[in-house]
Amino acid sequence: MTTETRDDLFLPSTGSSPEVDFRFSEHALALKGESYPENAAAFYADIIARTKAYLATLAPSQGVTVNVALTYFNSSSTKMLFSLFHALSDAAEAGARVTLNWHHDVEDDTMLEFGAELHEEFPAIDFHDVAVEG
Amino acid sequence: MNYAEYRDFRASVAGRNIIFYYFGYFSQHVISAMADAVRLQLEQAETAASTRRKIFSSFVEMAQNITHYSVDALTPEALRDNQLRQGSVCIGVEDGRYFLLSANPVAPESVEALRSKLEPLRTMTLEDIKRAYRETLRADQPEGSKGAGLGFLTVARDASAPLEFEFGPCEGSDAVMFYVKATI
Repeated sequence: MTTETRDDLFLPSTGSSPEVDFRFSEHALALKGESYPENAAAFYADIIARTKAYLATLAPSQGVTVNVALTYFNSSSTKMLFSLFHALSDAAEAGARVTLNWHHDVEDDTMLEFGAELHEEFPAIDFHDVAVEG
Repeated sequence: MNYAEYRDFRASVAGRNIIFYYFGYFSQHVISAMADAVRLQLEQAETAASTRRKIFSSFVEMAQNITHYSVDALTPEALRDNQLRQGSVCIGVEDGRYFLLSANPVAPESVEALRSKLEPLRTMTLEDIKRAYRETLRADQPEGSKGAGLGFLTVARDASAPLEFEFGPCEGSDAVMFYVKATI
């Protein structure tokens, strides 16, 4: 199991789940697309477990860049994403330098507000709001 | 049904400004395909981007509620994924605003829980709803919920009027028909 923690995680997008491109070896994690799988808890459980295992191996002050460009997520995905950012925040509090680039359509208030929510809840993460012209 | 009856059925739908209606079994694949159809139609109609997003989000929440909670299921309750459950969903335009309606049978013992979840939302302001959303986001997953308890709050947040709901008889069954209406 420990040998697997450094393996990168790639899941292609489907009609209702996002592309997951977690390059643990490069300390670069990216989520892109839409997220409304039937069972978000099941979909994200492994992603979160793998991320936590990776975060546990980080050297102090290691930089980690997270790019999130989700155009839509449903309510159950919201809850799981919050857990994922919680794990990243714990790593940041433990010394890692975690940068979160939060990409959203410039007119999408829901995404803007959710990003602001993350920024407020997890101050240890270096948060960047990236408004993209639609 | 003969052609004349079908013509009347179509005329009745057309007269109500319905842009989308589906009755039948809901699976994740069906929802994903319907979501595409809804998105295309709203783009064609040149609906404002923010309104499109709200309709899309409410549509997914209401449709996934059916796959999670309808008691008319073709699949065993214990199955975690690939659920196939019956209900209906409708999107239309009324007084210049979009609305979504959904109906699905629920167990009689679920009625009070649904009522106690939905009734308080009706008198909450948008600020109250956003606050409740933030609190629920941070809370532990409620017992028996597959949507983190955020589903109705998500719909209420995107609605421009209080959510409406109703319980009615369910023909040929002991179940109760549960209706929800969201005006965007």
